[in-house]
Amino acid sequence: MLPNFILDAQLYQRVLQGLNSLHFTDHVGAGCDLDFIKADYWLADSAVIDRLVLRKGTWDINLLFAHHTTPLRFLSRRITSHSCPKRAAMMAGFMRRLAAKDQRGTLRLSLEHLDFNCN
Amino acid sequence: MAIATKLKILESSIRLFNENGLANVRLQQIADETGISVGNLAYHFKNKDAIVSFVYESLFDELGAILSGYMGNPDFTDFDQQIGQYFSFFHKYHFYLIDLFEIDRSFPEIRTQWQNHVTKMHLQIRSRIDFYQQKGLLVTEPHEGIFDLLTNNLWMSIVFWIPQQVLKGKTVDQNYFKEAVWSQLLPYLTPKGLDAYFTLIHPILRDLDNL
Repeated sequence: MLPNFILDAQLYQRVLQGLNSLHFTDHVGAGCDLDFIKADYWLADSAVIDRLVLRKGTWDINLLFAHHTTPLRFLSRRITSHSCPKRAAMMAGFMRRLAAKDQRGTLRLSLEHLDFNCN
Repeated sequence: MAIATKLKILESSIRLFNENGLANVRLQQIADETGISVGNLAYHFKNKDAIVSFVYESLFDELGAILSGYMGNPDFTDFDQQIGQYFSFFHKYHFYLIDLFEIDRSFPEIRTQWQNHVTKMHLQIRSRIDFYQQKGLLVTEPHEGIFDLLTNNLWMSIVFWIPQQVLKGKTVDQNYFKEAVWSQLLPYLTPKGLDAYFTLIHPILRDLDNL
């Protein structure tokens, strides 16, 4: 049987100091701190990309919403899954068209928008 | 069913250890107190040492739970709450002092665990003092080492207050216990600390008085 894990006195003291300092560094949050959860207006101007991922024998349909001018602002959600890849691809197309603001897909992402620095 | 019986045996053992001391309790007494036969008792615990180990396991679990509640709240109420928990704990297991030396001799592993927990208690009290000082509730240390002595005094009050009351034949009262512990800190409180004490702690102690 393994002996009980014991923190030595020095380490325990440091843990206690850490707990003490939490009360100096942590502050009570404001209601507006959680605004980002409901600040989803940007989703209205997002390009929607469908992704199929094989997971545990079924094809997961993921929709990726990316802002059309700042693509690094994106959100990925798994919608559903199908066992048949053809059916999954068809459903993914339908879902993408349903979710996209422009159903014809005129909002597109460009690599230039990512503003990569290749140095 | 087996767990319920074990818990009953645990409660009876603690009661008997408190009344007679660990060395003076026999298996027959524990069985009688629990309301089971010695054979049934032997089914759950092969001997008295196994019962003692089980009692101490439960004791250390409870003490560990008290220690893990450290500094959930940055004001004095957190310490007051912990003092109250210490009182209940040491009151429930007051055989710890009667059998301190017996335990030292017969159960070295229990002794080591006691020492670990005592060290943690000590460090927590010292850490609280540092924290209250940082918060401006406690004065700066008047001389080097004073707060180490204060830590030791607080610890002694918490651990040995109940036995000394029993020794003097006086009542063991939670409120009195808390006051004894707080009185060690009072001379070192700043005006801000005193204000916090009289706003947060004093009313609680008075409420307990009126119960």
